[in-house]
Order: sequence, then structure tokens, then C-alpha cells
Amino acid sequence: MLFRIDARPGRVATWTLSWILFAAGIVLYFHASGIRHADNPDDKVVPSLSQLGHGISDAFLKADADEQDSPDAANVSLARRFFNSMLWTDTVASAKRFGWSMLLLIPAVILGLHMGMFPLIGSFFLRFILFFDKIIALSVLPILFIAFGIDELSKIMLIVIGVTPTIILDTFNLTTGVPPEQIVKGFTLGANDFGVTYWIVLKQILPRVLNSIRLNLKAIMLFLFAGEMIASPDGLAFRIALLRRHMGMNVIIPCVLWVALLLYLVDLTMRVMNRRLHPWFREA
Amino acid sequence: MSSLIPLDNIGVEYKSHGQAPRKVLENLDLEIAAGEFISVCGQTGCGKSTMLRLILGAERPGTGRVLIEGRELPRPDRHRGYVPQKYSLFPNQTVLDNITFGPEMEEFGLWGRLLPRFRSRRKELRHDAMGYLRQMGLQDADAHKYPDQLSGGMKQRVAIAQALIMKPRILLMDEAFSALDPGTRAEMQRQVRHIWADTGTTILFVTHNISEALYLGSRVVVLGRDSPEGSSRVIFELNVPDSARNTSGYPLRDEMERLTRLIEGATDGGQREPETVELREV
Ligand SMILES: Nc1ncnc2c1ncn2[C@@H]1O[C@H](COP(=O)(O)OP(=O)(O)OP(=O)(O)O)[C@@H](O)[C@H]1O
Ligand SMILES: [Mg+2]
Repeated sequence: MLFRIDARPGRVATWTLSWILFAAGIVLYFHASGIRHADNPDDKVVPSLSQLGHGISDAFLKADADEQDSPDAANVSLARRFFNSMLWTDTVASAKRFGWSMLLLIPAVILGLHMGMFPLIGSFFLRFILFFDKIIALSVLPILFIAFGIDELSKIMLIVIGVTPTIILDTFNLTTGVPPEQIVKGFTLGANDFGVTYWIVLKQILPRVLNSIRLNLKAIMLFLFAGEMIASPDGLAFRIALLRRHMGMNVIIPCVLWVALLLYLVDLTMRVMNRRLHPWFREA
Repeated sequence: MSSLIPLDNIGVEYKSHGQAPRKVLENLDLEIAAGEFISVCGQTGCGKSTMLRLILGAERPGTGRVLIEGRELPRPDRHRGYVPQKYSLFPNQTVLDNITFGPEMEEFGLWGRLLPRFRSRRKELRHDAMGYLRQMGLQDADAHKYPDQLSGGMKQRVAIAQALIMKPRILLMDEAFSALDPGTRAEMQRQVRHIWADTGTTILFVTHNISEALYLGSRVVVLGRDSPEGSSRVIFELNVPDSARNTSGYPLRDEMERLTRLIEGATDGGQREPETVELREV
């Protein structure tokens, strides 16, 4: 049954199967934690459930210790406390950088599209972008810090250098992959160069471009975290780096899972959006 | 008859990696008069689609010139309709949007679709499009499907509607009926003959099927080559005589069979009978 290519699992089976590894992971973790805590009740490396509970409530409900005027925990609502918590302020700080980087991908897509459609523009940029793509973004970090200072701009530039060439080249490839018949057809239907470019080619490749961005989400986050860990006053990566010094595993683990969950949700949103916006597209 | 499209000593060569350049067409001469219905036959790979692309302006010949109404047109335009062999429909648009794409693009251009006027105009265009859709024998229910929800034959018919709605002066069809069952095929052939008779559009129709070529065309042109590695040119031309059709344009079976044998014989290098029909072997 397991190795039948034509197996058709029902809804319940699919759902159950998809959660088994999550359940196994949780069970194994607490088993390991239990063993360690039997030896040493104060073990901090594999925190127990109650330690994690403290960690989570610290992370999600306590304001950053440095902040002076944080509202007193006793007399404010849970929601207020959550939105003042260090995790939330760090999430917002990271999300802003992430959002800017995503916005900067729009020009990258437009550039790739034009490079693919207009051979002269393609010749102008292609070799340069191919080379630019090979620059290891982290290796220019010192240059970025010198050139743009250590604040927001250099972190966003790190992402731009790391991810946009990939998106440009991917869009370029997708554009040149559109069958020439479609372009000829567009001309015979009265479209001009831009009509063909935007109304025929861009619309056709858009779902694949979104997929490509989705697959690069991780790269975006990687560069974002690198920037934040090295020089930042806030952000999720800054928090995790800080906690490492305190060996605060009971906070680090929830943080890591929180980041993964957020990214998973972004990915899910993009997947659903892609399916909604492009019902004709079959491979999302 | 004036020559609308003279093809003069055309040669086309393709270079592929690691191989010697291959001449696909060489010394190809053909005069196409306005209002003609030319059927183009020839073995697979002999360059029929290439010839259509040359007339479209989607490709430029290595040697020789393609003139359209006395001018060299470097790129495809709205006066030359095209029904390609494959990838004819825009996969991201419904059948109806595929058909109205041309008129919408022409009237509203790049950004005109954002005008409020566009919505009411689009209603009218969609109405027209439905007319073409029905003419092509498709159901109203198909109008909102996406191309990959259609069968091969349905796609071909939508592609024809998409080209026809532009009312092009020249219509280039590349094996447009290859995926149709015999019944639908006969019906589509009738439709295309009607459209040709009604509009006076100049049509080039590529087909593998000699009887289809004879039925549709006012002239049949056969491309071929002398050896398998050779390049193609026009090896045979036949004006289909009016005597091969009855008064309503339907072919007479005996006459058609005779002409089919004639073409098959001549293009196999076998015996041929140059007689009453206007026959010019090139
Ligand atoms: N872009 C290209 N690059 C290289 N060779 C090409 C290209 N397009 C066509 N050819 C070659 O030119 C020849 C003619 O191709 P074409 O598509 O015109 O044939 P055809 O007569 O339409 O064939 P079919 O009946 O199978 O559609 C083929 O041998 C093909 O390999
Ligand atoms: Mg062909």
C-alpha cells in the first residue's frame, strides 16, 4: 500500500499522515528532556515543559528588560502585554526589513522581464548581473557597513545583493521561455511591444515568478538574519543572538519555532494567493 | 491578378550547435494574389511553418525578399492573422478573453482598459466573440474555460475565432484542423470556405492532407526537396479548376480523387498527366 504510485489516500488519511512527524518530534523532545531532567533537575539545555512555559511567557508577554517605561505587568490586558513584548517588537522590526526587501524585488522582476523581452536591454545587463550574482553577499558586508553605515540601509542592501540577482535571472529565464508563437500572436492581435510584454508575457509568467520568490524566502531571511545578528539594536535574529549568551534555550526554542511559523504562514499566504489570482495555473 | 505577396528567391538557413548550418528553404518562388486561397502541402519538416513565419514577418529570410503589398514588413501586424500549429492560445485567459484580446488591445492599447468606457465596450466585444465562438461550433459553456481545460480540437477552433475577429487581410493557418474528427473537420472546412468567400481574405492554409488541400484551396502548392538532406522549394503547383466543384463550391468527388492522384503521382516523381487542369510544375 505504502509504495503504490496509484494510491489515493482519503482526506482523513492525508491529514493524519501529515501530522505524524510533528507529533513524533514533540514526543521525542520531551522524552529526551525527561531523561536529562532526571539526572539534573536544573538542566537548561533541553528545557522541560514548565521551563518552556516560562520562556514563552517571558518572550511573548514581557517587555524588553532594557525598556524603562514598560507598563506594569499586573494591571494591563494580555493583548497589550503581547504587543509590548520583546518578541513582538522584534518581530515588527524584522518584518519591516523583510517588507522592504520584498518591495525591492518588484523592480528586480521588471528588470528581468525587460531583459528577456528586449534583446538590447538583455545584452546590456545580462553579463553584469551574472557576475553580480556570483558576489557572495556576506563577503561585502564590511563594505556595506562602511558605505551605508550600520543601520537599516546596509541590512536591506545585503538582502538586495544576495537575492535580487537570483530573481532577476529567474524572471529572465521565465520570460525567454515563453513560446515565440505567443509573441507573434500578440503582434497579429494588434499589441505593440509593451502590450506583448505586460499583457501577454508578464501575465503568463507571474505565477512562476511568485513561486520563485516563495522559494527564495529562505534566502531573504538568511541575509536578514545575518545582518541582524552582526549589527542591529533589535530584530528576531538580534534577540536569538542575545539569548545565546544567556544560554536561554527555553526562549530560543520558542523564538526559532516562531520564526519558522511566520515564514511558513507567509509561504502559505503566497501559495493561496497564487492559486486564487491564477486559477489557470496548475503547478502551484 | 496583381500579386499581393511575391516570395522571390527565398532561402532560409538554420544554424544549430555543433552542426553544419542547414538550408531549409532555397530558391523558393511563389506569387500570391489578393483573395487567393492557397493550400500548402509537403512532408513533415519540409519548411511549411517556416514559410508562414516568413510571410508573417516573424522571421526574415537569409536570401531573397518577402513583400507584402509592395513593402517589406519586418514584423507581424494586425493585418496578418495567424493560427499557429501550437501554443496558439494565451493560457492565462479564458476562451472569451482570448478571443476579445485583439479588439481590446487595438481599441484600448496598453492602459486604456483602465478607462470606465472599457467595461461597456467589453460587453459588446464579448457579444461579438460569442458569435464567433458559436460559428466555430463551440458551446456557450466553453466560453469561460481556460485553454488547458479544452481538447486539442476545441483549442484549434478558439484560435481560429481569435484570428478571425480581427478581420485580417491575410490569414495564415498552420495545420489548423489537424486535431479534429472527420465530421467537425468537414464542418470547419465549410466554415472557412464561407468566410473566404464572404470576406475575400487571402488565406494560406498548411495541411498534410491532400484532399483537404484540394477542397479548400483555389490553388495547391507543394513544397518538397530532392534529397532528404536537401532544401525545399515549390515542387508543384496546381490551380484547382472550377470544374472540380459544383455551383455551391463543393468538390466533385471524382474530380477530386483524380487531382489527388495527380498530385501524389507528380510529387513522388512518378507519372503525371498534364492535361485540362492548369498545371505548372516548377
Ligand atoms: N528555430 C529553428 N532552429 C533550427 N531549425 C529549425 C527551426 N525551426 C525549424 N527548423 C527546422 O526547419 C525545418 C522545417 O521546419 P518547419 O517547422 O517549417 O517544418 P514543417 O513543414 O512545418 O513541418 P510539420 O509538417 O511537421 O509542421 C525542420 O527540419 C526543422 O528542424
Ligand atoms: Mg509545421
